[in-house]
Amino acid sequence: MRTFLMLGVLVSAGTLCVTESMRVSAAPAKTHSLSTAAALGKEIFSDPTLSASGKMACSTCHIPRYAYGPASAAAVQYGGPTLKSPGYRAVPSLRYILNYVPVWSHARDTNPIEQLTETDTSPAGGYTWDGRFNSLHAQALLPFLSPVEMDNRNVTELAKKLSQARYAGAFRAVFGKDIFNHPELAVEKATLAIEQFELQDKSFHPYTSKVDRWLDGKATLTPQELRGKQLFDDPNGGNCASCHIDELGANGAHPLFTDFQFEALGVPRNNEIPWNANPRYYDMGLCGPFRKDAASKDPANCGLFRTPTLRNVAIRRVFFHNGRFHSLREALRFYVQRDTNPAKWYPVGAGGKVEKFNDLPARYRKNVDTTDTPLNRTTGQKPVWSEQDIDDVIAFLKALVDQDEVEKEDGTSTLPARASLQMPNQGLCRTDPRCSTLGVRGVCHNDSIAALRLGAIESLIGRAH
Amino acid sequence: MTKRLLTALLFVCSVFLFFTVFHTVALASTGKNIRPAIPRIRHVFVITLENKNFSATFGPESEAPYLAETLRARGALLTQYYGTGHNSLDNYIAMVSGQATTPQTSADCNTYADFHQTGMTPDGQVVGDGCVYPASVKTLANQLMAAGLTWKGYMEDMGNDPARESSTCGHPALNAVDLTQRAEAPSAAVPEGDMYATRHDPFMYFHAIIDAPVCKSKVVNLRQLKDDLRSVATTPNFSFITPNLCDDGHDSPCANGEPGGLKSINTFLQKWIPILLHSPAYKQDGLIIINFDEGGSGEIKQSMIGTVVTVDGASCCRQQKGPNLNQQYPIVVTRLSHGRLITKRTLSFGGDRTGALLLSQYIRPGTVSNVPYNHYSLLKSLEEILGIHEYLGYAGQQGLAAFGRDVFTSN
Repeated sequence: MRTFLMLGVLVSAGTLCVTESMRVSAAPAKTHSLSTAAALGKEIFSDPTLSASGKMACSTCHIPRYAYGPASAAAVQYGGPTLKSPGYRAVPSLRYILNYVPVWSHARDTNPIEQLTETDTSPAGGYTWDGRFNSLHAQALLPFLSPVEMDNRNVTELAKKLSQARYAGAFRAVFGKDIFNHPELAVEKATLAIEQFELQDKSFHPYTSKVDRWLDGKATLTPQELRGKQLFDDPNGGNCASCHIDELGANGAHPLFTDFQFEALGVPRNNEIPWNANPRYYDMGLCGPFRKDAASKDPANCGLFRTPTLRNVAIRRVFFHNGRFHSLREALRFYVQRDTNPAKWYPVGAGGKVEKFNDLPARYRKNVDTTDTPLNRTTGQKPVWSEQDIDDVIAFLKALVDQDEVEKEDGTSTLPARASLQMPNQGLCRTDPRCSTLGVRGVCHNDSIAALRLGAIESLIGRAH
Repeated sequence: MTKRLLTALLFVCSVFLFFTVFHTVALASTGKNIRPAIPRIRHVFVITLENKNFSATFGPESEAPYLAETLRARGALLTQYYGTGHNSLDNYIAMVSGQATTPQTSADCNTYADFHQTGMTPDGQVVGDGCVYPASVKTLANQLMAAGLTWKGYMEDMGNDPARESSTCGHPALNAVDLTQRAEAPSAAVPEGDMYATRHDPFMYFHAIIDAPVCKSKVVNLRQLKDDLRSVATTPNFSFITPNLCDDGHDSPCANGEPGGLKSINTFLQKWIPILLHSPAYKQDGLIIINFDEGGSGEIKQSMIGTVVTVDGASCCRQQKGPNLNQQYPIVVTRLSHGRLITKRTLSFGGDRTGALLLSQYIRPGTVSNVPYNHYSLLKSLEEILGIHEYLGYAGQQGLAAFGRDVFTSN
């Protein structure tokens, strides 16, 4: 019954074609053979013709060369028929967890007394930030049909696009010559092919970071990186490793830096997300609005999101499920100063009181973790980390970046600095000084925002989620 | 016979009785044992389940009717069997070593910490704190090996996820966080999930076992039990069987979607008890013991300001607290959960009443014993049954009852 803390949902969450990785291979990523289905899945993963816009594929946001995460700092990505429909959550990296994500579960002690006194009661598992998919192929269907992503109206429309794709012949060869006469089956096979690609392709789990080499005794961490790891591990300090597990497995498997459990960190509301212009709209993770099963009916689940891996977190420019922060330093500062200096992170309400955890309805704010170190501090206390400490932790987290990403940082990347599809909302962030530094282009979707009412949101959600 | 002869015979009998009693007391006080008249049982199977009080398990509304009714009708019900502590781990340790609770074992050793020994009591209790006892602390398994007998621990799910724990002798790295504290649900990489819990595997808390090469062949996955049961020769004299966190009733619902609790206990026993009953070793001279680590009873009171949980911590058999629990009872712990204050009051150090059920050809069907027993009694009984001439730890407590004629009611 250990207590759990989550450094929190540091990496962002999106919804496009989620994947996770194997944790057994420490070999560098290299070309290797895929099964025929997986090879087909690779084609589908990067095919923009499968979207209503003709410009969006899974790989548009889950960019292989960015650890299958987004290149941009936009809180959410934009999709739909004209690429002007904002997503709901930040896009996660697909590296390093996919085949180890357990099915969603919330095991409890049988004994009612232990249920009341247990401290380790978090739900765990499932794909996406709210864990509502128990398989990769089930999850893979979501972005194809989401109106804010690839925007196919139904599986028949998607199957038709598949039948016209450049790899349609290969698709028939793998799944049968009349496969496209059965649209639902064709789409199911397509998602299974994506699943196989995500599970088989070593680019999803290269294990080439400096920390991996260090764990194998083939590299040395600098004193600063080692100090960062100590700060990361310290149960009375950062306590990050209690959720972002960083020790070798019993069989020598390299760590995934997540325990797949859910946690409520109380990340501040992010007004960069257009949907948040509606004050009645709340993204409460495990209890909705997208998740609609029995778990979503439990008030204790409101505000909980699944803990992401921290591998390659240092190359990200968008953090937490709602993309509220755009630098690792700010994300870490929030983590250790959330409770010691709440006015820095949350707005002041009408009564002059700081509105902590303002991205949740008031009745659910009690779900936010205030018991695990360092989230158990009070206003005015000294944060567990100094700025120097944060430097050290960042140094350690940078050592978690895979070698191919490090090489890009060194200037060998051929990718543009930002993906072309992001359409941040100038209007909403007009007063936010960060906007001037983001270098984003596009227009603000004020029209869309004005039209957004909860009913409209639910309508959209009902179609794709 | 003359009156003189009768007087002489009475004198001789009295002298014999005196020396017998004196000798018994003397041996017990020095940790030695003479076996009472118990059946020649040579194969014992212990199945330990989780966290149920007697009335829930064996009462008329039991959700485990196979245990509460079917098996009860053919075995011996020990109505006054008690756990020795809360939470789980200290109970398991008591069963195999006679060692009392430490603050860490009482809290289930979230960190698999080495035991720091500072002393030893005259009655064999190691003084100190921690989880993994030094090599000088012996267990029933060590006693059996010394006596030329065999043993095994059969742990369901152990090694299902090899990154979580080894498939044999599976435990966390010393002084590392125990990642087996919660069940792992199935995934693409681990299709069956992994609900092994180190804290329910008593052998993992003794250097005398985990440092020995035999650990890898003695503490194995439950899957191996069926093979071992095929003949008397391959069946260990002592088998300790730990179901996974679902099948032992600890969880409900379970990580794998099963119901857990007494329902999963029932399903597990319906599968495994017939397998044991039909094994050659059981048929020859077997004994099956089904017990629970600790009781689950207590009182829950809701109020405007929060919830107050009271756990009795009741014990029997003049159980001693041991040298390592320095807290004064009742112990009161409070914490906030979802904005609500939870207060837990533990009134004493015992493990509460659980009951136990025994099956053997030496037990008359429908036997009921109201003799008080606890996990130390179990250890003493196992030592006596298997012919070990020394009691470990509190199994050597003076006057402690072992299973006797109240249990073995059939010759």
